[in-house]
Amino acid sequence: MSTLVKVARYHLVQPFQYLGLTWMVLAFTFAVNEIIFAVAPVSHHTVTTAHGLVSVASTDGRYTGALCSFFILFLVLGVTSIGRSLPFGLALGMSRRSYYMGTALLAVVLACADGLALTALQAIERATDGWGVHMHFFRVAYLLNGPWYLTWLTSFVGLALLFVYGMWFGIVHRRWNLFGTLTFIAAQVTVLLGAVLVITWAHGWTGVGHFFTGLTVAGLTGLLAALAVALLAGGHATIRRATV
Amino acid sequence: MTPAISVAGLTRRYRDQVALDDVSVEIEAGSITGLLGRNGAGKTTLLRVLAGQEFQSSGSVSVLGGPPAENEHVLRRMVFVREDQVYPDFKVRHALRAASWFYPNWEAGLADALIADFDLRPDKAIKKLSRGMRSALGITIGLAARAEVTLFDEPYAGLDAVARQIFYDRLLADYAESPRTILLSTHLIDEAAALFENVVVIDRGRVVLEAAADGLRGIATTVSGPVLAVDEFTAGRPVWNRRRLGSQASVVTVGQLDEAARARARSLGLDLAPLTLQQLVVHAAEWPAAPEAADVPPPAMEGASA
Repeated sequence: MSTLVKVARYHLVQPFQYLGLTWMVLAFTFAVNEIIFAVAPVSHHTVTTAHGLVSVASTDGRYTGALCSFFILFLVLGVTSIGRSLPFGLALGMSRRSYYMGTALLAVVLACADGLALTALQAIERATDGWGVHMHFFRVAYLLNGPWYLTWLTSFVGLALLFVYGMWFGIVHRRWNLFGTLTFIAAQVTVLLGAVLVITWAHGWTGVGHFFTGLTVAGLTGLLAALAVALLAGGHATIRRATV
Repeated sequence: MTPAISVAGLTRRYRDQVALDDVSVEIEAGSITGLLGRNGAGKTTLLRVLAGQEFQSSGSVSVLGGPPAENEHVLRRMVFVREDQVYPDFKVRHALRAASWFYPNWEAGLADALIADFDLRPDKAIKKLSRGMRSALGITIGLAARAEVTLFDEPYAGLDAVARQIFYDRLLADYAESPRTILLSTHLIDEAAALFENVVVIDRGRVVLEAAADGLRGIATTVSGPVLAVDEFTAGRPVWNRRRLGSQASVVTVGQLDEAARARARSLGLDLAPLTLQQLVVHAAEWPAAPEAADVPPPAMEGASA
């Protein structure tokens, strides 16, 4: 068995947080939204037909956005995949490199499998007219609203990105504690601020606007994938000198 | 014999202190070595560098023929059990199962026997274990791994006397069955002394004594009796430590005493007691600061030549 697979299995030796917790949280969020949608009145509007005015339920805008809790959990999983697991991993003779790549392998496999599950749930949601209550829970406006393969790809990339981002946070915290973590956040804010200033001075906002309005979901997914690879490289550079 | 561990000029500097200061030491393969010294002497830092968990500021480290840091080839043949080991949210059986995947020589039967001996429940969450039970878990992993290089850092903190005896017995029995290189740091020196074939003593980041345990027996002797007789006997001998209580004196002399010297001590009515390893470590740690140090050869030389 390859070392990377062993490392991924090491995380799953106690599988609850990776395989159970995320779905329990999702089930709870879903139940809450289902109940709210069941009791909330559906708004109607009237349309003129051959039979006169008819009242039609308007269900287009019934999005919950609650699915983001599932994605945020992946960020948390990424943080905890370093935390207290790294010191014991190194004690068992893993190198930092194989620990990191094995954990990233877990992130990719988990994001791929969970993304597929979300895609299946989205298909059920479409087939049941929004779980019988016209709810858009697994359909998210613009992002997860296209064909099934695009939903799978976008959720896979999004989940993997957040997990890897969480790993980087976990490593920064391992090396430099709270102050380092806050500095890490401040550095990212500074980079974004710099970008905003440069665009403003260059009068580039119209171009940026055109870029984003013209961006398809597939294009956005590609950008997120590139960002995930960059984050993966950043975490790798940070763990190389981590001590436990 | 080729050394399993070889360290030369190893220095680890932190912002406000030097944890290891130009340490050079060799540990021969297939031996049990005691790593002794006071709190903060640098024992844990040395072991962490050997295990690749910490990086040196300068100097070279070689374990099983290569530098350990990020070296899979070396790391997978080494296990490091430390007193302050941090565990994930695992139960005891999770930690043992994970360890079994990473050590090719993992001895499941031994692990089962040890957790039974220590009364360690496999379904208990590690974070709920007492300090002693966490130590028992570390010991179980360290021994069952049967790694070529086994590093123990204060492995039995919090363990009671019975459990410590189990550890000593199991360690020796398993070592006899499957020889390996064991480096063990401890404070309970006299208790563990019988295990050691070699000892390395470090103090304030420096190696102050490195010797075969056999060579240390009788290397220093406490001479006690009436002040005048003690003074007469110890005149001209290197002395480490002098204590006086009324008309009685107690002096530690360095160097083997021959039969003639022993006969003379008897005729002067003096008691001779060889220093135990623990007392020796106490004095070795004091050695650079001892007032008589100027004319005493470093104990490392004496030990090495014996």
